[in-house]
Amino acid sequence: MTQHSQRSGINRRQLIKGLGAASLLPLVGGVTPFAIGGQHAGKVVVVGGGFGGATAAKYLKRANPAIEVILVEPAETFYTCPFSNLHLGGLRSMDEIAHGYDELQDRYGVRVIHARAEDVDAAAHKVTLSTGSELDYDRLLLSPGIDIRWNALEGYDEAAAEKAPHAWKAGSQTEKLRAQLEAMEDGGTFVMVAPENPFRCPPGPYERASLVANYLAQYKPKSKVLILDAKDNFSKQGLFMEGWEQLYGDRIEWVGLSNDGRVTRVDAERLEVETEFGTVHKADVLNVIPPQKAGWIAERAGVTDDSGWVPVKPETFESQQVEDIYVIGDATVAAPMPKSGFCANAQAKVVAAAIAASLESRPAPEAYWTNTCYSLVGPEYGISVAGVYRVVDGAIAEVEGSGGVSPTGAPSATRALEAQYAVGWYNAICQDTWGTQT
Amino acid sequence: MKRFFRRAAAPVLGVLLFGGIAAKSLAEPSFSSEQVDLMAAACANCHGTDGRLVGSVPALAGRPAEVLEARLLAFKHEEQSDTTIMDRIAKGFTDEELAALAAHFAAIDPDGDDDSQAEQEPQE
Repeated sequence: MTQHSQRSGINRRQLIKGLGAASLLPLVGGVTPFAIGGQHAGKVVVVGGGFGGATAAKYLKRANPAIEVILVEPAETFYTCPFSNLHLGGLRSMDEIAHGYDELQDRYGVRVIHARAEDVDAAAHKVTLSTGSELDYDRLLLSPGIDIRWNALEGYDEAAAEKAPHAWKAGSQTEKLRAQLEAMEDGGTFVMVAPENPFRCPPGPYERASLVANYLAQYKPKSKVLILDAKDNFSKQGLFMEGWEQLYGDRIEWVGLSNDGRVTRVDAERLEVETEFGTVHKADVLNVIPPQKAGWIAERAGVTDDSGWVPVKPETFESQQVEDIYVIGDATVAAPMPKSGFCANAQAKVVAAAIAASLESRPAPEAYWTNTCYSLVGPEYGISVAGVYRVVDGAIAEVEGSGGVSPTGAPSATRALEAQYAVGWYNAICQDTWGTQT
Repeated sequence: MKRFFRRAAAPVLGVLLFGGIAAKSLAEPSFSSEQVDLMAAACANCHGTDGRLVGSVPALAGRPAEVLEARLLAFKHEEQSDTTIMDRIAKGFTDEELAALAAHFAAIDPDGDDDSQAEQEPQE
């Protein structure tokens, strides 16, 4: 603790606060006593360094710097899914969606371990890492994101994802899909397979289609985008379709469930997909956004249910199934909150306050969550959906009268302003989460 | 506990400077500093940690409480043609919560280097 305190430059005021918390120790139940020094305010292991986990680590330290916070994340550089569609569209480099962990370590005194969490022993309160070492915890916070349900869509396994990238986790998959798009001959078809709900980032596929179309319009004008969708409605549908018509004419074709849009088989070798009623579509570039589930460590921790996602207590995001394990972000069942980076960041702050309170045996403060998802239909054409959420009668609910989507038929100045705000939002949330300065 | 007094002092200071508006705030239900911190943390998503980030989305830290409160209430209650998203967000909060948020951000030093002004010793 002392080492961390020195490194993060914690001032006298914060140390006093830490000692104050430690002096409550005899009253605190469920916290392992610290053998020497008596300065134990609790130990929290956070798994996952994305929007949820990185934010939670920071806000735990802001709530009480005396809490020992360890963040476990394999990657030293984290690439965000938000704005990865701009990379696909040739509008942003990978470096511009890359973030690191210096601020968490140097400023907040979070211990960051670059390893994979491989197992959780909930009874013993221990996490096993890929390095073989074990971490004990008072509270465990999982922010594991999503994993792909390989073979849930026939023919789509890890090998197939090399030929037909999902690019639904940003990084090498994003680069692969971008390279394929760049190599595509003019006149080709970019086919996207969109999944049923629930999945990460509900408007994401449609923003991707937009920015791919924007690229094609400029560089490969005879090419098209075909979206084969397993559902009949999608997020901000009216706004996307209005924007597509204005910006791209008939370059983007969307086929919903009722028009035989649901893909049931993928042949990644031949870049072909087959729909429910047997129509075979041939792609030049094939992007399969497959069915998903909670990140794998959630299963190991025993917090997932039959749906593959994680049910949580709405007020605190503690697991409904396992004590002292909290889960946030895309892995959770948090509807009506969408699976978005913004929501993961918002949930992280609520969970940090809840864990800090629980370590002092206090009730958690009342939860407030907000969400804003911007989508770029074009580089200067932004649309948004927003929501404010609270717990009502034991369930998460959108506050009546709040939220909603951008107006349809708005002037281009409004769309341009929202496109600017989208960039402002990205810079702000990345500053808030990783300390990235732009 | 200094933190609590610091926060509690903010509306009092408000009374001295902007009598009418702040006096109304005093009569309204108060929130614990922990509660206001959590409420305000939701704003950081777009306005940066502690509302300090300057960019296309305006910074909040250190702006006068009555200006922030008036703007938030206008977002919530009035039709404003230049609004894109804040009307949809502000409608999710009570007037009292918006007043508490305004006081919270007004009390933050926009140039402060610490992660939260509440963590700073007022007099070292």
